[in-house]
Amino acid sequence: MSLFRRTIARLLAASLVFSGMAQAAPGPLLIGTEQAAVAMQAVAPSETHARLAAALDRVELASALQARGVTPDQLRGRINALTDVEAKQLLEQIDQAPAGGDILGIIFTIFIILLVTDILGLTKVFPFTRSVR
Amino acid sequence: MTALRAAALAAALCLGGCALLSDPPQTAALLKSAPAGLPPQAERREVPFFPQTRYHCGPAALATVLVDVGLKTDPDQLADAVFLPAREGSLQIEMLGATRRQGAVATKLPGELPLLLQEVAAGHAVVVLQNLGLDIAPRWHYAVLVGYDLAAREVILRSGTTERERLPLRTFEFTWARGGHWAFAALPPGRLPATAREADALEGAIGFERSAPPAQAATAYRALLQRWPGNLLAGIGLGNTLVAAGELPAAAQAFDAVAQRHDSAVAWNNLARIRLSLGDVPGARAAAERAVQRAQKAEPAFLAAARDTLAATSAAP
Repeated sequence: MSLFRRTIARLLAASLVFSGMAQAAPGPLLIGTEQAAVAMQAVAPSETHARLAAALDRVELASALQARGVTPDQLRGRINALTDVEAKQLLEQIDQAPAGGDILGIIFTIFIILLVTDILGLTKVFPFTRSVR
Repeated sequence: MTALRAAALAAALCLGGCALLSDPPQTAALLKSAPAGLPPQAERREVPFFPQTRYHCGPAALATVLVDVGLKTDPDQLADAVFLPAREGSLQIEMLGATRRQGAVATKLPGELPLLLQEVAAGHAVVVLQNLGLDIAPRWHYAVLVGYDLAAREVILRSGTTERERLPLRTFEFTWARGGHWAFAALPPGRLPATAREADALEGAIGFERSAPPAQAATAYRALLQRWPGNLLAGIGLGNTLVAAGELPAAAQAFDAVAQRHDSAVAWNNLARIRLSLGDVPGARAAAERAVQRAQKAEPAFLAAARDTLAATSAAP
């Protein structure tokens, strides 16, 4: 029962929040490029299934991004720019994928790590280090 | 005994040290024999520079390549499109998404150093992901490759707060390899990266279709078809974007070409729908029949859509 209700809730959310943004088909009756790509490259039960799953992924991605500090007014544009495949990937890897960010302070960090590995005898990067062994 | 241990230790240190000091594979191969046609040196000095602020190397790198191809944007605006506060950085997929929203096609490039340099020599600045640290202590960083010098064994980057960072080729390869050999070009539709693979170029165009005005997306697909005339999905994409742009006769022509060439259920189906809109009912019915036949034979995912289309042609006056 709870699964049923949750599914309905998610479907409603999908249709309300993302109506018109879940797919990039050029018209309601044409088969879109992305749909064609997905159906040709993967084994989907049907095109409709694939579209529904993609819409749900987008709803989840929206809440995942919001939970990580993206403001609501940025959400739509950011999610809409991704293909179904990318939205799914991002959702799956949001906490593991490399996040290019900090360069400041990096030299010191690497210095310390390599210094330690040098002293442990695992590496020999610096001419002035001597292995403890 | 002590001497023996010292000798063993020295040997071990040498082995470890030599392994660390030797060149990584792609650099070694490149320096041994550069591919024919690769200039020994290239640099795009005119590429702009946006020094990054804390955590914002993603927006800075993106602004660099987008402004370079004539688009109007800046790191602050792009931060709203890529920066993920909880991760204190920007994720690769969102870098691609933000590129499209600014009107450029983001195309991933092959993870091969010689090809990367060739791309720069072809005049395109390239965004790269580096891990400046180690796998155990990663420091992810986006930079823009703008040049290289094989004789000096170095690459030239717009990176962080350094406008012209000269990095040894081998160090660059180490950091780029730890970043998964990931790189992409951001170019206006109609211009393809010199070294892009067909599948990556297609992915780039399909992503672009999502955000771009239809006429621009059509331009991107046309460029793709010009280089790879047999690409089925690029043909379908061209048809769909022309429909979205309101150019129905041109769209019908595009789908007709794809349908004839590939016998694709999607192309037949969409062709039937467009002919129907143009009032060509017999033509639409013929195409819809082909769509159903083909879907039954080889593309079951589109059978329902094809049958609906056929029914629509029968219902039409």
